[in-house]
This record gives sequence, structure tokens and C-alpha cells, in this order.
Amino acid sequence: MNLFRAEEHARRWSRFEPRSEEGFITLADLAGFFGTESRRHMLDADYLSTWYPRRAAERRAYLERIGKTSPFWMGTPDPPTS
Amino acid sequence: MPDAQLMDRAFQRIMRSLVDTGRAPHYAELARALARPAEDGPALLHDVMQAYPIGWLHPETDYIASFPPLNSLPTQYRITVRGEQRWFAQCGFEATSVTWLFPGETVRIDAPCLDCGDPVTVEMRDGRITWADPPGVVGHLAFGFGASRGRSYYL
Repeated sequence: MNLFRAEEHARRWSRFEPRSEEGFITLADLAGFFGTESRRHMLDADYLSTWYPRRAAERRAYLERIGKTSPFWMGTPDPPTS
Repeated sequence: MPDAQLMDRAFQRIMRSLVDTGRAPHYAELARALARPAEDGPALLHDVMQAYPIGWLHPETDYIASFPPLNSLPTQYRITVRGEQRWFAQCGFEATSVTWLFPGETVRIDAPCLDCGDPVTVEMRDGRITWADPPGVVGHLAFGFGASRGRSYYL
């Protein structure tokens, strides 16, 4: 989960894996992904009990909104290959 | 089962310590801040880390290494606020969330590009990106989310 100067820099990274070609996200989308409602309450007294539990659903909803619905992004198992 | 209110207080104490000083408290400091006996510190720490599993302790220690979005263990994602580079983000993605810990402040993220070592700089204020250099900065998820990917998700 890194920041690169541009996509071609990530592709030249020594640890770049071909599968992660689908792992790019624009800076604006990233800021939105990590700026969902619960994130804005990290300093609230009830963050852990009230807001943190909402985080996973918010993340899924945001990823769906920006079209990143593959198992790679959603954290779901890959479909079996025949 | 740990008391939810106590867990909230422990979480806030750790996060507030990171925001104020750039480092996480030791469990002895955590216990004292919550008016608990020092001997309760380790269990308190482990309970709150279990409740917030996106953070972690340094292996084989009771030291908080990561408590996202901030890291007590330095990373390449350096955070500057009010001209002070005192903080580190857990990763490049979490770095974009640090802005929510410093309302009304400009939060600057500096990191070396892992390909070339040249700088990557992003400034944010209240969740808004106000500066990016170079303008084409991108995020990259190297291994995918989910335990089934088999690699640490934060890399």
C-alpha cells in the first residue's frame, strides 16, 4: 500500500507483481477511500465501539462506488480456476 | 469480555499520545493514564490491540509498532504538521487518512518513491488534497486485501 510518482514507477519497482496491475488507485480516490465517515471520528471518545465497526462496510461501499469490486480489492477469495 | 468503555478510553489514550507526541505509550503509561494498576497494563494493551486488529505490536514484544493511521515504528511515510516532522504513517494508503487527526491543519506526507527514490509529496487539509508533487502521484496495492492473498496487506 504505497504511493508512487506515477504508475510506470510502480511497474518498475523490484517487488512489483503482475497481479497487482489491478492495484492502482488515483490519489483522489485513495483520499476518499481512507476518508469515509468513520475515519472522521478517530478522535471521538467512542471511536472504537461506535465508529470502527462501521469501517468495513464503508470501505466495501466506497470500493463498489469507484468500480473496484474484484477479489483483489474486496478481500474476498479468488474464484476457483478450472 | 473487555469492558467497551474501557477499550474506548484505552484506544483514545493511545491515539492521543501518537497525535501529541508521535509515539505510542508503553503499557505502563497506558495503565496509569486509565487509573489502572500497572499489572493490568499488558492485558489492557493486548485487549485493545485485539479490538483494533489493523494495528500490531512489534513481534515478541509489548511495544506498539503500528496503530493506524499512524506508526510508532518509523516508516518511509513521514508526516509533517505545523512545520514539525514528528509522525509516521502506517503505509501510503493510511497516510491519506492522517489528515483527520489534525483538523484545520495542513498535513504533509513525504515519502521516497520505491522505484527511483525521488520524493513523493502530498499535502492535505481536512481531507482535501491541496498539493501533490508530482501531480501524477498514484496509490498502489501490491498484494491485494484479504488474508487469502498471503502477504502482509500493508506492504
